[in-house]
Amino acid sequence: MTSTDKPVVLVANRGEIAMRIIAAARRIGASPVLAASVADASSPAARAADRVVVIGAAQASKSYLRPEQVAQAAVNVGAAVVHPGYGFLSEQPLLCELLEAEGIAFAGPRPETLRAVGDKGSARQVAIDASVPVAQGIEIDDPSEVRSLGEKLGFPLLIKAIHGGGGRGIRLVTNLDELEELAPQAAHEAEGAFGNGALYLERYYGLARHVEVQVFGDGEGNAWIFGDRDCSVQRRHQKLIEECPAPGLSDARRTILHESSRRLVKALKYRGAGTVEFLVDTQTDDVIFLEVNARIQVEHPVTEEAFGVDLVAAQLRLALGLDPELPVVPAVPPVSVIELRINAEDPLHDFMPNSGVLTEVTWPRGPGIRIDTQVETGYSFPPFYDSLMAKVIVRAHDRQAAVAGALAAAQNTSIEGLKTTLPMLEYVLAHEDFIAGEVPTSWFGPVWDSRKDTHD
Amino acid sequence: MSETPSWQELLDLVEQLNNSDYESASVQFGTVSVRLSKSEHVSESPAAGVLAPAPVAATPSVATTAAATPPASTPAPAAPAAGDTIDAPMIGVFYRRPSPGADEFVKPGDTVTADTTIGIIEIMKLMNPVAAGKAGVLGEFLVDDSNAVEFGQPLVQITLA
Repeated sequence: MTSTDKPVVLVANRGEIAMRIIAAARRIGASPVLAASVADASSPAARAADRVVVIGAAQASKSYLRPEQVAQAAVNVGAAVVHPGYGFLSEQPLLCELLEAEGIAFAGPRPETLRAVGDKGSARQVAIDASVPVAQGIEIDDPSEVRSLGEKLGFPLLIKAIHGGGGRGIRLVTNLDELEELAPQAAHEAEGAFGNGALYLERYYGLARHVEVQVFGDGEGNAWIFGDRDCSVQRRHQKLIEECPAPGLSDARRTILHESSRRLVKALKYRGAGTVEFLVDTQTDDVIFLEVNARIQVEHPVTEEAFGVDLVAAQLRLALGLDPELPVVPAVPPVSVIELRINAEDPLHDFMPNSGVLTEVTWPRGPGIRIDTQVETGYSFPPFYDSLMAKVIVRAHDRQAAVAGALAAAQNTSIEGLKTTLPMLEYVLAHEDFIAGEVPTSWFGPVWDSRKDTHD
Repeated sequence: MSETPSWQELLDLVEQLNNSDYESASVQFGTVSVRLSKSEHVSESPAAGVLAPAPVAATPSVATTAAATPPASTPAPAAPAAGDTIDAPMIGVFYRRPSPGADEFVKPGDTVTADTTIGIIEIMKLMNPVAAGKAGVLGEFLVDDSNAVEFGQPLVQITLA
């Protein structure tokens, strides 16, 4: 404990989410302390915190990704709770266990939950046990004997590594010959990348949307459901734009998504904030469980703005043994919210990341506009970490107004000194398909590439 | 060797392994098991006894971390205005003695080489010897024994040889 009696919240992350956690810590009357790498020791988030503790070198592998360094920082500053944000150690059971051994709370699920949902095979089993719809899938026993499995499932199929993640090791096959050829390769690659060559086959939905449900559990089986988000505007599995609520969902489908998620939270006795991700097919009525993200997500602000809640403050309150102070909300919010991710990437040159000093940063202002970021004029955007610079979140009375408001907000944002994804965001927000809503995850890539052909 | 190895014996072991071709090694001394690795990753302590000293990270991995440190912009408290210092290669708790009551590894005025152990940093029960990293004559210690340190925090002043 510090000299004051405020509980110390150790913020074990950087960038915009560090700022977000610091704000939540202040909201609940706690004292935020930032665990930073050397490169972030005097960042805007460092200035916003009550104190900074330098945990390691600039590279994330020597700082933000080291559970023992983060846990030691928590011990050194007398933290009551550690908030891991997203990415880095947010779903690392080892950090959670190191902290538990020191009597320090972890603002996230229990380590056994992280393990249960962190592995695709066991997450799928948890989902099946909770009567959550999953893709028809079969584990491959012998990668050289896959013909009969392919015949059983039908095509197209995905070959996936059971222990994989982040889209790695996934192969799309459209016929039996391809399956026979690629399965042994995939097993070899999975063995090399993940130390385990176990594979499974799954039906592939080429025109599906990505819809996810925001959940919050009290750790004892009680669940809050905070609506759904559509995150279908993606490039190579990276989300670019998210919105709440997901447009065009029938009541029946929405009920399946929300009630499946509620059953998962109860079955896991889930603790804290989480997201249950689904594929919603646009060709059939199929709804397919993808995974549980056992952390606060990048796109959580659209849900917060739609329902008027502070999910990060609720995570901290729950971790401190307090009432999370969350309301029960309707399935569909009375407003529509859109989030734009502004990345330090050049969309005209294959989204190449860039870093350096921002010579001018200006944000839009007005009702319903929220900016989550730590960048500002003069900030040197470092090359060591991911390219997310800022999130612009716009709330309006309906989706059409939110799309128009988001476009105006993008047009009134100025970031000079680096290439950003703002031109891409403006293009999508003005596109008739996006304005109509319900685009699938496969929409953005070819649409953007063909646009480049005509304009470059 | 006695049942419980002394720090010096452990450090000698580290030295020997450091000069060998082994990437990693695991050694059992009676009730104490020691795991060493030259690579970045020193795995978590084995299930072995709670009383046993924790695994020792070999000096090379420490030196690697220090060498990769960008020019320190660490806002370390009470940093001296000028002069060379030996800085903490990791966050943790700094110890100047191999065990409570024992003599300090080094004192102000001592001449050190790059390989001289000047203290230990404990990080989550893992004891890491801190090498001077440079040759010279030590000045004042800037961190008291058993105090928390941050990555890059100056530990002791040094007049370079």
